[in-house]
Amino acid sequence: MLSLIVFLPIVAALVILAVPSSQKQIIRLVTLLAAVGQGVLAVLIWQAYDPALPGIIASPGGSPEGSFQLIERLPWISLDLGNFGSLTIEYFLGVDGLSITMVLLTALISIIGVLSSWTIKKQVKGYFILFNVLSTAMMGCFVALDFFLFYVFWELMLLPMYFLIGIWGGPNREYAAIKFFLYTLFGSVFMLLVMIGLYFSVIDPLTGNHTFSLVAMASQENYIPDAILGPESVVWRYAAFIVLFIGFAIKVPMFPFHTWLPDAHVEAPTPISVILAGVLLKLGTYGMMRINFPFFPEVFQASLYVIGVFGAINIIYGAFCALAQSDLKKLVAYSSISHMGYVLLGLAAGNSEGMTGALYQMFNHGTITAMLFLLVGVIYDRAHTRQIDKFGGLASYMPVYAGVVTVAWFASLGLPGLSGFISEAFVFVGAFSSEVTRNIAIVSVLGIVLGAAYLLWSLQRMFLGKRNPDAVYELRKGADGQEHIHFHDWNGKNDLDARELLMLTPLAVIIIVLGVYPMPVLGLITTSINQLVEVLSPVVLTASAAVN
Amino acid sequence: MHTLIQLSVIVLLLPLLSFVLLIFFNRRLPRSGDFLGVGILATAFALSAWIFWDVIVLHYDPAFRLTWDFTWIDFGDVPGVGPLQIRMGILIDNLTAIMLAMVTLISLLVHLYSTGYMTGEKYYGRYFAYLGIFTFSMLGIVLSDNLFSIYIFWELVGLSSYLLIGFFFEKQSAADAQKKAFLVNRVGDIGMWLGILILYSQFHTFGYQEIYDHIKNGDFHMSQAWLTAAGVLLFMGCVGKSAQFPLHVWLPDAMEGPTPVSALIHAATMVAAGVYFVGRIFVILTPDALHIIAFIGAVTAFMAATIAITQHDIKRVLAYSTVSQLGYMVLGLGVGAYSAALFHLLTHAFFKACLFLGSGAIIHAMHHEQDMRWMGGLWKKMPWTFATFTLATLALAGLPLTSGFMSKDAILAGALGFAEVEGGGIYYLIPVLGFFSAMLTAFYMGRQIWLVFFGESRTHLKPADEHHDDHHGHDDHHGHHEVHEVPWNMRLPLVILAALSVFAVYSPDPLDGGKGWFMHLVQTPPTAVSAPAGAFLLHGASAAEHPVETAAHGAGAAGEHAVEAGTGTHDSHGDTAEGHPPAHGEEEGEHHGPVYDDPRQAAISHEAHAAHDRAIMYSSVMVAIGIGLALIVYAFRFIDPEKTAQRIRPLYLYSFNKWYWDEIYDATVIRGSLLLSRIMAWFDSNIVDGIVNGVGAMVRKFGTASGNMDRYVVDGMVNFTAFFVQTTGAALKKFQTGKVQTYVVMVLLAVTGYVLYYFVQLLS
Repeated sequence: MLSLIVFLPIVAALVILAVPSSQKQIIRLVTLLAAVGQGVLAVLIWQAYDPALPGIIASPGGSPEGSFQLIERLPWISLDLGNFGSLTIEYFLGVDGLSITMVLLTALISIIGVLSSWTIKKQVKGYFILFNVLSTAMMGCFVALDFFLFYVFWELMLLPMYFLIGIWGGPNREYAAIKFFLYTLFGSVFMLLVMIGLYFSVIDPLTGNHTFSLVAMASQENYIPDAILGPESVVWRYAAFIVLFIGFAIKVPMFPFHTWLPDAHVEAPTPISVILAGVLLKLGTYGMMRINFPFFPEVFQASLYVIGVFGAINIIYGAFCALAQSDLKKLVAYSSISHMGYVLLGLAAGNSEGMTGALYQMFNHGTITAMLFLLVGVIYDRAHTRQIDKFGGLASYMPVYAGVVTVAWFASLGLPGLSGFISEAFVFVGAFSSEVTRNIAIVSVLGIVLGAAYLLWSLQRMFLGKRNPDAVYELRKGADGQEHIHFHDWNGKNDLDARELLMLTPLAVIIIVLGVYPMPVLGLITTSINQLVEVLSPVVLTASAAVN
Repeated sequence: MHTLIQLSVIVLLLPLLSFVLLIFFNRRLPRSGDFLGVGILATAFALSAWIFWDVIVLHYDPAFRLTWDFTWIDFGDVPGVGPLQIRMGILIDNLTAIMLAMVTLISLLVHLYSTGYMTGEKYYGRYFAYLGIFTFSMLGIVLSDNLFSIYIFWELVGLSSYLLIGFFFEKQSAADAQKKAFLVNRVGDIGMWLGILILYSQFHTFGYQEIYDHIKNGDFHMSQAWLTAAGVLLFMGCVGKSAQFPLHVWLPDAMEGPTPVSALIHAATMVAAGVYFVGRIFVILTPDALHIIAFIGAVTAFMAATIAITQHDIKRVLAYSTVSQLGYMVLGLGVGAYSAALFHLLTHAFFKACLFLGSGAIIHAMHHEQDMRWMGGLWKKMPWTFATFTLATLALAGLPLTSGFMSKDAILAGALGFAEVEGGGIYYLIPVLGFFSAMLTAFYMGRQIWLVFFGESRTHLKPADEHHDDHHGHDDHHGHHEVHEVPWNMRLPLVILAALSVFAVYSPDPLDGGKGWFMHLVQTPPTAVSAPAGAFLLHGASAAEHPVETAAHGAGAAGEHAVEAGTGTHDSHGDTAEGHPPAHGEEEGEHHGPVYDDPRQAAISHEAHAAHDRAIMYSSVMVAIGIGLALIVYAFRFIDPEKTAQRIRPLYLYSFNKWYWDEIYDATVIRGSLLLSRIMAWFDSNIVDGIVNGVGAMVRKFGTASGNMDRYVVDGMVNFTAFFVQTTGAALKKFQTGKVQTYVVMVLLAVTGYVLYYFVQLLS
């Protein structure tokens, strides 16, 4: 089932290859079909998933069975390295609480992304082929349980993303694309080194061979004591933790590695922004939770404070930067940086409340930010500008749009009753309960006010009051005597049309439902998070050290 | 599930239903669905009245308490904590039942009133939807049994307040005011949130009762300073929502909202939620935290009263009066006059709602004129409004026979008692500010009554350039400026609210609210943070006999019983919560509070009781002075207000400009943050990104250098080799002429050379 959900888009891409490029509607529908197929599979996976199984590490016998679910495991590449033994790479998929949340999110955002791509006019065939490749790569990252396989999917993501920004982007697209590409590549080179080091340090308890299995790597007893990344090699373990962390932090993106994000967002077309903010950023924090932290738990425990400080910087610095933006999309991009800071803060708390909040925040940020970027796209399609001061008074003329914007904006500023609040609340609960990060949490609550400030201010400048004198739209008296809004070069519906509502409504419903009753998602993740906290906890570490 | 719990859940959800129906379907319904809003609220009020009847009248038990809760979030078996669940639930005690009835009643009256006041508005249906979500959130605050859910509803009332203040969002000032209200409230809320976090981090629960029990059992493992901090931080939520100094600045601006909204949200219910919340957390407030609360309340009461005396806008006077009265309530809680403060919350809700709706009637009748300078002589034209407005004014000013008299007097008595227990000195500032504010209140209300209702109409005096253009979609009837009494649907709420401002509703004795049902049913809970014994021996002589005296009445068990009831129902978690029979009713003829183990609480309770008569005397004198002054200035005109204002111009301007708080905040916080944001954005695009681009450029330079190296050195070698071969070849090719003669010569030369060489070798 997992292979199917991962490779369905690739199949769609192959089908599209065979379709002549003039058949744009067929190309779009094939992609939509694949995305909806993924959605159906995601729901089936969700139904089949047993939230009682913990995941994160193997079950007591050393087998991933009974801990992970829907496992698919085949030997993939086997190389005889002579004296070094043999190199075994497995095709190894499976889900636990961390990944199923992200699988659901990815499937959802992919569907939204396809619908949003309907407006792409340029080189439709190439666009959708790349889109499908991207879709496969993202899904693959979240279900891969072999480090090498994970790495392959991770790198596979870069290529379509580079072209999607670089060809279908805005005026400065090539700069943004290359910046994104190089930045991420920079991070992943080190990941490769650490990966190889880990391979030679870890033994699969079942076979006795070296392994790339993420499951085996998450248990400290599988490490060879005197190997390069074994428990005795303190310096190398710190170095490996740090470079891995930077690799993932670039994706989050964490200050000071964040500047690729605003550029990428500003240049990327709307659907790609949605995918980027909705899913790709989560890969960074997912990587931390799946790989970075459990492989080096003692280093993690030693770096809680530092991670927390970076989280706080993201929250507050991102919010201040957002406050200063005049381009709405850039504002949303910086708000994204700010909100991903909550994830970092929650992770730094190191306890169940904080980590649950962090993972839930990843999900909620995915849905909320997707909505924000879609809404930015709506006004950009019509007005061809995103300058906040070029509007004013839109609420009078586009009431439905204004209503949906209000929901999304308030979700983003963490209004209770909407999903973002719960995740941010538990990030704070966790961070405050941990004595290490308590002071950081106290400082970070400032982000709650700043978030409200930049969002409400932009809401006011664009939607409330009256039309700005230099607004990009005109008002014309209609037949009914009422004033109607008019955009240049826009023949569509002024207020939200059916396709836009089709994208926005499900997101809004999810945001509200998960804000009132979060258990549908939280129920999936708590067991895994508790397991993760257990794996990371200093008590377990000292115990296993005593065994060694 | 107990019937009362079921009823309260229905009451809670009804207004939400109203919101959902109206926000989506108001355009498709006749009359934009206003009848739905009114009807649903009427149902909610009827059910609340049922709850009120059952709890207050039938049970009549100070210890009445009913809880029900369910698991909202299940964290599973958390390492280091054990099974962890976040529970949500409902708590019904006497205070809840009273608040429930009060909120639904005023909301119903405001709904009804709005069907008249808001007629013809562009977003008429949406208005009732917003009222619905407000009522829902407010009821949520009232019914919550834990800090997490009260925080949720706390923010939700903030949202509804935001939406309603900005109802006329096309107006810039309204859009500014709504943003200001939300942001200022958020500042208070982050304090409240931190307070909640402190308590949660200790006990891993949000439930009031669990937290109080833990604290009572001494499970709070941080220092006492943290507990004080928790109390003060939680109180910050109240500072924001109840517009206490220094976060009071949003409330006067909130008057940009429609006037019925001002009555419901910004006078009667939401702003009082802060006081209600402090009442809920009262038992965990340390003496230090209470002192801070008392001073904040006193300063707020006084400051707002001094501002109210110079404002021209009829609603602004009432807004500052609201701030001032909220200050009284907070002061009351701070000094330990718990029942009195909450009593004032209730009485104030009715008379202030009456005043705001009355002012709405005046504004409506005056065609959106809000400036009192251009009113006058309205009593003949609007007799109903005049009568109800005056009655409510008397209650606000605190004249005998009104509800406000009893509650305000009880607070002031508490303040006097508090000052004596705390040892006087600086603590006397609190009652002094309280009494002085009472005088100012009487003065500015007297001024308002006179300017609005008496004298000659001054409409014609209004300068032409001061024409306010703030009719929003109303069909404004310029030209005919006839002033009429408002229709029945606006008059009825005024009459009901005015009737509820009469003493008899609350107590048989007009001079003593303590003899009434409210003070009997809502008694000061015993504190969970006992002050060290012996600290109050100075006044101990009287305090010591107090417990003995009341213990004889058997009321002592009341406090314990409440605790017992709470834990008992919680443990069962299900729907088995039972009402408690009025076990203590028969023994409580006199109005004695419960016995306090805590000597400080016992002393304050006793001293406040002793100060009762003095408080009546002082406050009557102050009110008389205030009204007398108002009459002298505005009725008899012995003193010309304009000339006086000129004479004390700096003071006048200080008051008129609201102590310049807006300007101060603008210059510091707002400009500061904006500047900071610009600096950070510059830093981001020039320094952080500059470094990134710099690294990029450096890598490129390095690339160029290595490219050059490649081109000139590595490639140079290759090229040199090629060049060498080429040159040599070119030189050699000269020998290859293609002529046989040349080759023959060359062969000959070569052979000759070789032979010569051979011979030389041979010879040597």
